[in-house]
Amino acid sequence: MTEQKEISWGDWIKAHDDPADNRKKPEALDHITVLDCSYANIAGCFATSVLSEFGAEVIRIEPPEGDPARTFTPWGLTHKDTGLGYLNEGRNKFHITLDLSKPEGQDIFKKLAKNVDIVVETYKPGQMDEWGIGYRDLQKLNPGIIYCAIYTYGQFGPKASCGKADVDIVDQAYSGITAVTGELPDDPDNPKPSEVPTKQGNWMGWYAGGGWAATAILAALHFRNLTGKGQFIDVSPAEAFGRCINYGLTYYQEFKEVIPRVGNYDVGVFPYTYFKCKDGFAFLSGFSDINWKALCTIINRPDLQQQYPTIFDRLNLDNMKVMYKEIEKWTMEHTYDEIYEAVMDYNKNIGEGVVVPGRISAPMETMKAENWWVRMTFEKIDDPYYDELVIANQPWKMTESPPRVKWVCRPVGADNEYVYNVKFGWGPEQLKELKEKGVI
Amino acid sequence: MAKPDYFKWAEELLDPAKTFEKPEALADIKIVELCTLILGPSLPSYLSEFGATVFKVELPGMGDTMRSLTPFAKFFKGAALGWQKEARNKYHITIDVHAEEGKELFKELVKRSDVVVENLRAGTMDRWGIGYRQLKEINPRIIYIALNGFGQWGPYLERPSYDAIAQSESGMAWITGFPDKLPLKSGIWLADYYGGLMGAVGVLAALTYRDKTGKGQYIEFSQAENLIRAMDWTWLYQHLTGKQRERYGNRDVSICPADIFHCKDELVAIAAATDEQFKGLCQAMGRPELAEDPRFSTHLERLKEENAVELLKIVASWASEKTYEEIDKLACEYGFAANKVSNSKDHFYDEHLRKRNFTYVVNDPIYGEVTIEGIAPKLSETPGRIRWLGKPVGLDNEYVFKRFLGLKTSKIKELQEKKVIGKWADQIGRKPPEDWDGKRGVILFNK
Repeated sequence: MTEQKEISWGDWIKAHDDPADNRKKPEALDHITVLDCSYANIAGCFATSVLSEFGAEVIRIEPPEGDPARTFTPWGLTHKDTGLGYLNEGRNKFHITLDLSKPEGQDIFKKLAKNVDIVVETYKPGQMDEWGIGYRDLQKLNPGIIYCAIYTYGQFGPKASCGKADVDIVDQAYSGITAVTGELPDDPDNPKPSEVPTKQGNWMGWYAGGGWAATAILAALHFRNLTGKGQFIDVSPAEAFGRCINYGLTYYQEFKEVIPRVGNYDVGVFPYTYFKCKDGFAFLSGFSDINWKALCTIINRPDLQQQYPTIFDRLNLDNMKVMYKEIEKWTMEHTYDEIYEAVMDYNKNIGEGVVVPGRISAPMETMKAENWWVRMTFEKIDDPYYDELVIANQPWKMTESPPRVKWVCRPVGADNEYVYNVKFGWGPEQLKELKEKGVI
Repeated sequence: MAKPDYFKWAEELLDPAKTFEKPEALADIKIVELCTLILGPSLPSYLSEFGATVFKVELPGMGDTMRSLTPFAKFFKGAALGWQKEARNKYHITIDVHAEEGKELFKELVKRSDVVVENLRAGTMDRWGIGYRQLKEINPRIIYIALNGFGQWGPYLERPSYDAIAQSESGMAWITGFPDKLPLKSGIWLADYYGGLMGAVGVLAALTYRDKTGKGQYIEFSQAENLIRAMDWTWLYQHLTGKQRERYGNRDVSICPADIFHCKDELVAIAAATDEQFKGLCQAMGRPELAEDPRFSTHLERLKEENAVELLKIVASWASEKTYEEIDKLACEYGFAANKVSNSKDHFYDEHLRKRNFTYVVNDPIYGEVTIEGIAPKLSETPGRIRWLGKPVGLDNEYVFKRFLGLKTSKIKELQEKKVIGKWADQIGRKPPEDWDGKRGVILFNK
């Protein structure tokens, strides 16, 4: 108890959760084995990345020619034959090849699945079932198995059998979020090509899909711990991302309108947006009444506070445009650092209400910022095959069983020898035979 | 390709109509939430769908700031839309944890719970004497997660944060939007909702560890770091080339073709991520020879800037002469990816999403039938569900303090008089709807 009085919270928690010590600690999922049959789909790869970072043994199964996802990379750029998008999600996984369309491949898959905890796949609905290795078949061999299928339109419902492919941009478009993201035309009769619904720059549909898949899998794992029962999980990345919408359906039900897209404004809070400043962009917010008053004090515009005193006055698009212009007059006279100093000085010394400032960081600035290196958000990994790479770590810092990255990726089939040996006791002879038959 | 009975089998297995006949995966888990806005509150909200019991602790009177957050200040039967959605399934109680008796009450709840979720500034809970260091002493099995902008230590510690700041500091806003426009904030509170989701993954991983070892733990979660992790190839690209990732509008520069196009009547996302899908698209366009063209015959070739620009032009010109219905039909037949840019109205009338409980009708005891974004993953044995939405401030005080803490009616009254606990302030978003009869939604109502 005396320890608590002597050590500040920040020092205490850093001593207990600093990722620099992660590799000395146990792992949450090191008793779990996963088969990942993701095909041309990063949602599946991300879900199993999460599991592997928590210590699960993940066996990544690719067709003998490799997963097409290995070619998802900007302008076709590859590093040692692997695209950068895939390279980022190969972490900690064993990479084997197996042709699931061949009966012999299916037999081998069944033998593997008999002794694993989790299967993740992203084929079109019914493909694995058609091959005789879907949940219906595996459940008989392994009743505790947790089987997660990922597909834009899911495994049932009127559109499940439509036959369309699952690609991130389409998940984003179907989610409902693209429709509310993007600039409103300045002149509605003459919109610019950029004034359209806009996707997130990253594969956000796939990442949300993978995130929900991991959530559901771990919840199912807890249920299995209690009951011994496995189950089937159906995840649509479009729905997974769509679940993150602020509000939409209830607004439509009540007002028979859709939420418009309003660029960098927010239909529920103002001010809460990006402003141009002398040397770049700054985020400023102050939307509750007391915080709005604080902002008006900082920019020395008490008249604005009087003109728009309540949240309700500030949530009118026309008023927003007026207030925005007035606030921007002030930001344009200052550099970002000056704005940050002025705001933080107020917060610290006057502190009646809080204004939150922020910087719009270009990704290269983000990657150079000391903060993220100190916290090991970024880490240099000396991968045995891919050499030195910079990866982003998972956001959880944990005191007992933290996640970690051990290697970044593996080439196609690189772990055939090890995995087939450790699982089945096969050696070079057996592998050669399977290779000749085109099974691996 | 699927066996004829596959979809029938899957529908039978996953049928949302049978949800309430089945158990819940997290029925044994209790969560205490001391959070405001979205980043923190969304986490227990996600877990509540799997059956976790969530005690949402607010300050008496005004409660969570989120209770004011609604588009254009338009309320739904007196409740803020931003609030109502994420307050789903929770028990709504009030405790003033600044007061000594409030702290005691809070600790009693934590003693009986499995998870604590908070999103206050780093160190606040510790200063109040109800942080992880204190709570692990009374409940060593507790899993405690603190979510905020920049974590509990490090150079950015002093910086306050919001969703939009996590989007901008991570670089996410920079890579979103069009080159000729400003960096673009998502139309949703992305860092909050996706932050809460990945926070939930951390809690469940810790739960698995506890199932195995009996040990609880502390989880530190930064929403900015979470977005950095989700920015796919950005960091490898910058590390390997020394070049910065910029924003490229709706075009995905790592999959080709993948863009959003104008067709005759809609905006439609069209993509082909594999050679097989691309062949299908070429056939659908009536241009099967394109799949053999050396500029387009492999994905790595298609991705090269000059080839990609050429190919996207071809697709754009084709799409502009079709209706969405025509494109959709061809996508189904030829197996490439296509969907129109859908909005909430589309979701409201989408029979597919209704069937799948994404477009979910909650039968709320207070607010009646409410359509809302519902269940994302469908689990065959333990399907997710929504019982009710956000409630007025302190509505469940009596129920929770009696059932879980065993407080006597007189004690509850006393705490109320001391303002340690309490009901709603007479303000919109805090109080029950106008037509409320004083009974609807109250558990253990006294006649």
